[in-house]
Amino acid sequence: MKRGKVFLLTTVMAVFVLGLTACGGGNKNGTLNLFIWTEYIPDSVIEGFEEETGINVEMQTYSGNEEMLAKVQGSNPGTYDIVVPSDYMVENMISQGLLMELDKSKLTNLENLDPAYLNPSYDPESEYSVPYMGGAGVIIYNKNMVEPGADFTDYDELFQPAYENSIVALDDFRSIIGITALSMGYGFNETDETKLGEIKEKMIVLKPNIKSFDSDSPKTLMITEETAVGLIWSGEAALALAENDNLDIAFPDKGMYLFLDNLCITKDAKNAENAYQFIDYVLNAEVNKEISSEFPYLNPNTAGVALMDDAYKNNKAIVIPPEEIAKGYYVQNIGKTVDIYNEIWAEFTK
Amino acid sequence: MRSRQKKIGRILSSIYSYLVYLFLYLPIFIIILFSFNTSERNIVFEGFTFEWYLKLFDNGVLLNAYGNTLFVGFISTVIATVIGTLASYGMSKYKFKGKGIIDILLYIPVVIPEIVLGISLLAIFNLSNIPMGLTSLIIAHATFSIPFVVFTVNARLAGFDRSVEEAAMDLGAGRIKTFFTVTLPIILPGVISGAFLAFTLSVDDIIISFFTTGPGSNTFPLKVMELTKTGVAPDVYALTTIVFIVTVAVTFITQRDKKKPIKG
Amino acid sequence: MKRSYRARNKTIPLLTTVSPVAIWLILLVAAPLLYVLFLSFLSTDGYNVVFLFTLDNYKNLFNPTYLEIYANSFLIAFFTTAICILVGYPFAYHMARAGKRKKTVMMVMLMVPFWTNSLIRLNGWKTLLGKTGFVNTFLQNLGIIREPVEILYTRGAVLLGMVYILIPYMILPLFASIDKLDHSFLEASNDLGANKVKTFLHVTLPLTFAGIFSGSIMIFIPSLGYFFVSDIMGGGKSQLIGNLIETQFKAGNNWPFGASLSMMLIFLILIMVTVYKKSGGDMEDLGVM
Repeated sequence: MKRGKVFLLTTVMAVFVLGLTACGGGNKNGTLNLFIWTEYIPDSVIEGFEEETGINVEMQTYSGNEEMLAKVQGSNPGTYDIVVPSDYMVENMISQGLLMELDKSKLTNLENLDPAYLNPSYDPESEYSVPYMGGAGVIIYNKNMVEPGADFTDYDELFQPAYENSIVALDDFRSIIGITALSMGYGFNETDETKLGEIKEKMIVLKPNIKSFDSDSPKTLMITEETAVGLIWSGEAALALAENDNLDIAFPDKGMYLFLDNLCITKDAKNAENAYQFIDYVLNAEVNKEISSEFPYLNPNTAGVALMDDAYKNNKAIVIPPEEIAKGYYVQNIGKTVDIYNEIWAEFTK
Repeated sequence: MRSRQKKIGRILSSIYSYLVYLFLYLPIFIIILFSFNTSERNIVFEGFTFEWYLKLFDNGVLLNAYGNTLFVGFISTVIATVIGTLASYGMSKYKFKGKGIIDILLYIPVVIPEIVLGISLLAIFNLSNIPMGLTSLIIAHATFSIPFVVFTVNARLAGFDRSVEEAAMDLGAGRIKTFFTVTLPIILPGVISGAFLAFTLSVDDIIISFFTTGPGSNTFPLKVMELTKTGVAPDVYALTTIVFIVTVAVTFITQRDKKKPIKG
Repeated sequence: MKRSYRARNKTIPLLTTVSPVAIWLILLVAAPLLYVLFLSFLSTDGYNVVFLFTLDNYKNLFNPTYLEIYANSFLIAFFTTAICILVGYPFAYHMARAGKRKKTVMMVMLMVPFWTNSLIRLNGWKTLLGKTGFVNTFLQNLGIIREPVEILYTRGAVLLGMVYILIPYMILPLFASIDKLDHSFLEASNDLGANKVKTFLHVTLPLTFAGIFSGSIMIFIPSLGYFFVSDIMGGGKSQLIGNLIETQFKAGNNWPFGASLSMMLIFLILIMVTVYKKSGGDMEDLGVM
């Protein structure tokens, strides 16, 4: 029958492609299982590492801390050697005994890091984590499409009725609830129930202004001028600013939502030695420059940033002024209050 | 008068079906067009280039992932088709205790949200020490494909005249011989349709694959998911275009030299 | 004598045909299901699952906000199904009336788009429907509209995405049931003087009801759960039950509540299937291709 024939041909194709792909490989110095965010490390860096060390890197990617955690907890211990959790997830993974205490003598390039990013609140002695890259939830806006005089240094500007259906925002409940709280003078990680009630009320005002929730590629909507204002990650903002001259960036006075992703080795890592080698390789200034050139995120590697050109260093969306970082907030574990947050979010996005 | 009316009706319904096809193919045409776009952003068509096709052949990871997808799709389809066909045949022929339970269990993979099935399969694989990688992917894909094969073969068996089988057995054919020479040819269109459905489901799955794969065995949809995170890159569009054209070509060739079509 | 021989003889074929599926389903479907059920009675400390028995996750199902989300979700599923019937029926009818050869060609042409990744196809729609997309530009050039219309990020766009992804699941069973229709029935009805509309309403439609019902179930169920359609086409603004469950297993970090939501969904759908069975529907029409 002809369908059988189609099927047969598909099979032939399958065998053919497999034959092609099976030829690769060959790992004389062992393997490294890297579990990292999507689009977070250039292929050239992986290839460079493989060439230099003879270690074969098996990379798998995720797009959320919780997905990563579920996968690490659900797999056999030591399945993944390196994971890249964000700030609050580092704390959580430490408390669950999922991470390995680092032997810093094996990381000779640690000194390349800006000390301001070491010993963070989620890992006070930097025993388990090495900062990799991060960013802030910034505001970008289209100068031709916003109200005269608007500069978005005040979160309240987002709540104006003039911006009905013209904002693209992060699809992240901690971000939206957090900045609404900041705009009212409450904490970014607010846990007071009455205050959360007020925050929920205020968010109803914001709701009609949101055109789309998009954490993945909000820059697209800003570049095409489909939205006037964006509450987006700084890395995305940097790309958007480069593509459309009408866009400008703002750092709100009351402080921004910050995140910092970290290279960590899992407790039972099967290839811990290779993992150390990899982390040290990534911390190398030249290698780090390669990463920054491809992904314009906030980079705590001072030595790497120093090698970048002026265009990079002067881009406020990439090299965010230190005083703005100092005003920012990381997401904290809020315990059972997260249920209230979930409910507010469901109400907001239904 | 009447035949003229009929003719107009036929033309109208032809136009209508072309419109439905237009609806189904429109986004694919856009993908093909944008695979030749010079702009990486894929918002506006800026200029014509073959760059992405050339780049594609450099992208070993993408091709490798595509190979994995075809492999997992093929093996899981074979497993699901064999198990599903046997099940459908046995369940329609025999009455036994627990049939109702199997019936309900067959519905669960269709009903249960993919993320829930993915996470719970991950837990099961971990408990049973099944290596995470192509093996676990194949098992997971076969699991959500089996019900579709069973339903499809059931549909074919519904109109099946059992007396044909009995006649064959009266003539001295054994059970196995009867199944392969009499029953299978009759239900084959249903089996093949089921296999197609299973294959389609497998090569498009993302969520269950994320949870049930292991290091070093990415599938094509997982890579696509990754690339859609930053706005779909034109090289994925280029690969999609190649796959689409190969599918159409294969279908067209196999259609052409087949005189007697089958009923699906 | 003969009877016992037959009974004994039945065991082996029964075992060979049914035991593989039974074992597979018990290990890989029943076991996960029990795991989900177990999970739905546990608590969380806000981050991780805690082994503490509770019924809160089931009480939480009746929160008014969530009830509204179910209602929205069911509404979208209902409209998706209705549109698929309206659009799919004439197409399936045309397909069933075509010549044998054309029938096969039409069916293959229907399936081919499905071998292209659904995320990519939805992204194709996004390019088409944006403010600077083809549809808006086209309408503006024709002078039909002056300003670009908002198509993307509306409920309408979600509906379009759902119909687009699911419509073949309606067309195939419809085709199967219309194809089985005996031509002579319709001719007899026409000969008896009934007009076309009457023939359709009183003969064709009732005879193809099984196909409509099968297709409806195969569309209604997935459209409750396809959260990615709402995310891509609707900008994440119209949550479906699927989005709600997805959130609990991801950022919301409340697996037990996600589990209880899943159990509710399974329960609701098993009720629907049972009602269908009881009302005389043929289970074997489901999944018809």
